[in-house]
Amino acid sequence: MSDADSPIKRLATGNRGLDEILGGGIPENSINIIMGEPGSGKTALAEELIFANADDERRPVLYLTTLSEPLDKVIKYLQQFRFFDPEKLGRTVLYEGLGADLAANGVGALLPRIKDAIKTLSPKIIVIDSFKAIHDLARSTEEMRLMLHEVGGLLAVYNTTVLLVGEYRHEDIAVLPEFAVADGIIELARNALGTRDERYLRVFKLRGSAYRQGFHAFDITVSGLQVYPRLVSPVEAASYERDVSRASSGVPGLDPMLGGGFWTGSAALVAGPTGSGKTTMGIQFIVEGLRRGERCLLVNFQENPTQLAHQIEQVGGKLDDDARGRLELLYYSAVELSIDRIVVSIFQALRRSPIRRVVIDAIGDLATAAIDATRLHDYLYAMVQHFAVMGVSSLFTLETDPPIMARDREHGRLSHMTDSIVFLNLREQDGIVGRTLRIAKARGVAHDLQERALQIDAQGLRIVEARR
Amino acid sequence: MGTMTQPDSGATGRAIILVVDRDPHIRELEAHFLQQAGFSVGFAQDGDGALEEARKIVPDILITEILVPTLDGLALCRRIKADPRTRDTAVLVFSILAAAGRAREAGADAFLLKPLAEHTLVDTVRQLLEARTARIRRAQHE
Repeated sequence: MSDADSPIKRLATGNRGLDEILGGGIPENSINIIMGEPGSGKTALAEELIFANADDERRPVLYLTTLSEPLDKVIKYLQQFRFFDPEKLGRTVLYEGLGADLAANGVGALLPRIKDAIKTLSPKIIVIDSFKAIHDLARSTEEMRLMLHEVGGLLAVYNTTVLLVGEYRHEDIAVLPEFAVADGIIELARNALGTRDERYLRVFKLRGSAYRQGFHAFDITVSGLQVYPRLVSPVEAASYERDVSRASSGVPGLDPMLGGGFWTGSAALVAGPTGSGKTTMGIQFIVEGLRRGERCLLVNFQENPTQLAHQIEQVGGKLDDDARGRLELLYYSAVELSIDRIVVSIFQALRRSPIRRVVIDAIGDLATAAIDATRLHDYLYAMVQHFAVMGVSSLFTLETDPPIMARDREHGRLSHMTDSIVFLNLREQDGIVGRTLRIAKARGVAHDLQERALQIDAQGLRIVEARR
Repeated sequence: MGTMTQPDSGATGRAIILVVDRDPHIRELEAHFLQQAGFSVGFAQDGDGALEEARKIVPDILITEILVPTLDGLALCRRIKADPRTRDTAVLVFSILAAAGRAREAGADAFLLKPLAEHTLVDTVRQLLEARTARIRRAQHE
């Protein structure tokens, strides 16, 4: 190791999702703030972290409560979590209340208590919850600032990792001195989305370390925080080897229009108004994959697996056990789920088995689950990139009414992300409504530009003739 | 210049360690853990004061930060090793700077990177003392 090299060791948080966001964990020997409104999960996160790291009696973890919650209450609620281990309590996890000392002696009581703890306990991790509540005892800003200077100085020279937990607001970041001392800042927040709340975690600062920026969804469960790291494009995106084979669409007459089918590993967008045949086309794409012995995943937000299986059998005939075993159906109510959780489930399915085809029906439902259009766009882009690298052929459906993408900025943005775009439409001629199909885009393919008549029957869609 | 605490190894039979650091917290913690481990500890806040104190008490071990005023820790190490009165003092450079190579070039016997991990510090000090004792015994036999 050269003199200049000073690798930062990391302390795994015990939370897989959060460690992924933090690039492996929080840096050891750092001072970190966990901020958020009451009930946002701050204490649960801190406790999950300390129980995951409480493995050495010579270097226990010290949890100091101040003035916000009585120690008994903290311990009472701690027991509901699965990570709680009564064997560790009092041995490798030590809880102490600072409230009485602080109330009697003011903020000046903190430095000697921490110093004493270092000398007598050699704590590996020190948590102070709530650190913000200590502000209420300071007689002046100067007193608080001086105390922080001393405490910060002490904690910086000793080999311990510190978590300051507090009900901080955004405006506190620019004002309160602990934010200047902090090496890392993690915010837990709640945003209203329709009739439900979405919990989000965000890393504001992680000195000397790369981390995944942005909002990451999470739930609080009996296992602790279930964190869903925001999906980003794969780093291999620029350098993977592209498959030059074709993935048949399963729609009679469409493959010739595409010069032989979609490229394997490419993404297709099937757009059209209600009733134009988008879902049916997605099912045909899946059925074709099953016929070819591929594993397939169908993600749907409107129909449950029983309804979907029925539709699939209508189009593809009765599936044998082998085909049924290769078909995975994911059904979500987009009203109740966030896009983060849906995307994580999709990638969990892809990791579980070598899926070759994915249909997501429909993007509009994903949009309902996304907090904003930019998030939806970012996720779709990243998803398409991941699918390409993994060699997974994908088909996304999109409801468009009217079906002209240029009129809709969002739809326009979506169209840039996929390799192919197929428009389905309903046309009225002489009082009769018929369906049509047009390929608006097929990257790297000399495709048929004609709008063609489309027929739908029990077996699905098929191209019937060129439109005059 | 700091004050010495329990500096007399002759009286107590304990090894003397001189800690050089400008940070009062680290001086206090180092002194605490080393005393707890059975050593006599004195300290200085700057390089010149440390050199003067080292010549006076000839510590068994000198632990110095590189970033100290008046004479930096590496220059202090060179001066300690160059002086016949103090050259047997083992020098442990204990710094926030990742400078193991530079410390070695300056003649240091060991290097530790901050922050303070008391078990590592005490173990290193014990190893240095053993090596120093063996070295002196070898020299006496020769």
